[in-house]
Amino acid sequence: MASLKRIFFGKHSFINQRNSIYSLIQQNGMSQYPSYYIQPVYRKEAQEELEKSGEIMKITHVPTRAALNDQTSSVYQDELVNLFINYVMRDGLKTLARGLVEKSFENIKRIQLEKYHKAKTEAEKQAIEINPKNIFHQAVNNCKPLLYLTPIKRGGVKYQVPVPIPDKRSQFLSMKWLIEAAREKERTVHFPEKLAYELIDAASNTGKVVKRKLDLHKQCEANRAYAHYRWS
Amino acid sequence: MFKKPRYIFRYNKNPKSLITSFQCLTTAALPTERIDSFRCVINNPLEQNEGHIGQFYRVPEDVVSKLFSQGGLPKSFRIQTKTFAETCLMIRKPSIDIINCIKNLDFSKPVPRFVLYGQKGVGKSLSLAHIVHYGYEAGFLLVHIPWLGEWMRRPKDSSPSETKEGYTNINLDIASWLVHFKNQNSLLLEKANLKTTQTYKWTKREETVANSNLMDLVDHGINRIKFASDCVLALLNEIKQLSKSGKCKTLVAIDGFNAFFYPETRIRTEKKEIVHPHNVSVTEGFLSLTRFDWKNAVAVLIVDELAIAEKDQTSYFPRYLLGKDGFEHLDPFIPVLVNGYSNKEFLSCMNYYRERRWVQPLPGLDDELSVISSSNPYKLMQLCAPL
Repeated sequence: MASLKRIFFGKHSFINQRNSIYSLIQQNGMSQYPSYYIQPVYRKEAQEELEKSGEIMKITHVPTRAALNDQTSSVYQDELVNLFINYVMRDGLKTLARGLVEKSFENIKRIQLEKYHKAKTEAEKQAIEINPKNIFHQAVNNCKPLLYLTPIKRGGVKYQVPVPIPDKRSQFLSMKWLIEAAREKERTVHFPEKLAYELIDAASNTGKVVKRKLDLHKQCEANRAYAHYRWS
Repeated sequence: MFKKPRYIFRYNKNPKSLITSFQCLTTAALPTERIDSFRCVINNPLEQNEGHIGQFYRVPEDVVSKLFSQGGLPKSFRIQTKTFAETCLMIRKPSIDIINCIKNLDFSKPVPRFVLYGQKGVGKSLSLAHIVHYGYEAGFLLVHIPWLGEWMRRPKDSSPSETKEGYTNINLDIASWLVHFKNQNSLLLEKANLKTTQTYKWTKREETVANSNLMDLVDHGINRIKFASDCVLALLNEIKQLSKSGKCKTLVAIDGFNAFFYPETRIRTEKKEIVHPHNVSVTEGFLSLTRFDWKNAVAVLIVDELAIAEKDQTSYFPRYLLGKDGFEHLDPFIPVLVNGYSNKEFLSCMNYYRERRWVQPLPGLDDELSVISSSNPYKLMQLCAPL
């Protein structure tokens, strides 16, 4: 009995140990860094802030991960644009994806500058937004849905229930829709060209993507009767 | 009749010594006033001087359509001019140096040959465009090949020559060049009243008689594309004779000149054999214009890596690009190095972009771009595109 018990506990403890090791690996995922490596601070302003507050002394000797490929301290770097580039990317072809997005920014500028030079009065000229980054932010903002539908099973039937959407999810949907709209094109039209038009349209609160958002809102409105299934 | 000129320059990397050492020249008077702006008030290249280096001047629209409608401005630059709603060229040191040289040239001496060279994208073609504009304003007869690579690397057609055994014609390209020539020189040819010296017989019925207008020769080449190459040879011959006799001044401007000496063209004979550029019928005519055995003319040539196959683009120096034959053909010539932007030129370019609202003002942007682009104008243009 005693030996049995020993074996049992021994085995048990062994399993426990293996589990803990397993969970440690799981926590770290596929990362090549051990878990105690901290994220890099790559922006110059953030570094200065750390220095000012004295926080920097705490992490001076802590091992730090290397910055990622797209994490630069460049003055025209933009987090949201980087994210967008990642969403455009297919099969890990990042250079291509970045090229496409940059080209579409260039196209935005060319389209807007053409309008700018056509405008006659100074007031009209001032009203035209030329900065492609502002247009991009505006477009993503305008396409964010407020609600979305989620299927919930009640009594064997799936209901499309309107649910408030987390900010990150709505941002993702907005960008995804923009890319999908840009990919829906004639074969002769290039992606950057179409994306430029979609972004300009969305920034002025018109176009396919904004319509898609409004359609979703309408659907949510129609299904408002199911809203209580969210909690009951 | 013509002696080989005594001055010999090779790889004169310092353009300053170019002016002082060039025998026929007097040093140009330096400007007294200086306008601290990126825009040049003087749009006429005849009046521009060293004080304007780094500034942009506007080329009038009618001049652009006259000089560069068939090429002469690189495609990426043409797109920019459309977006900016104006054609502005930067006044840069190499072009100003050459223009100063031309201004002070003794035209009774043999033809000087200027060879612009430099890395890819430093602005050789646009410097040439500036010089061509100067030549136009100064009343030169322009013999301008916008991009020789187009003929040798991407010919539209090819056919065996009927008049010269073993030679190949690229008549479509040549005919469109004749249109280009006509566009550029129509005003001058009307005024100068240049006549042909001999009769050219094309077929039994067609001929261009002696003492007919030079424009007739050009028109014949355009209308009867079959004879375009022969027409060009005749035309170039006439131009040489006319310049020798002092009836006109000629500016020979060829972009991608080294393509005349690069053996691997993409022109093929009917048997699919590669044609050496010297077996292209028009080559001889243009090469004869770049010899020093005539006068009342000046030749400005560009040697460019892009005019040859990609696998051989290893150096941008004239000796490599021209090869032994080409180098000996041009020797002695005046090499002019085109560099990337200097600090002042870079700042002026960025100011121009900002004024055209091409780049959004951002603190610290200039420093970063000057490092990333390594002051290469073409790279800078590309980097600024998505900003």
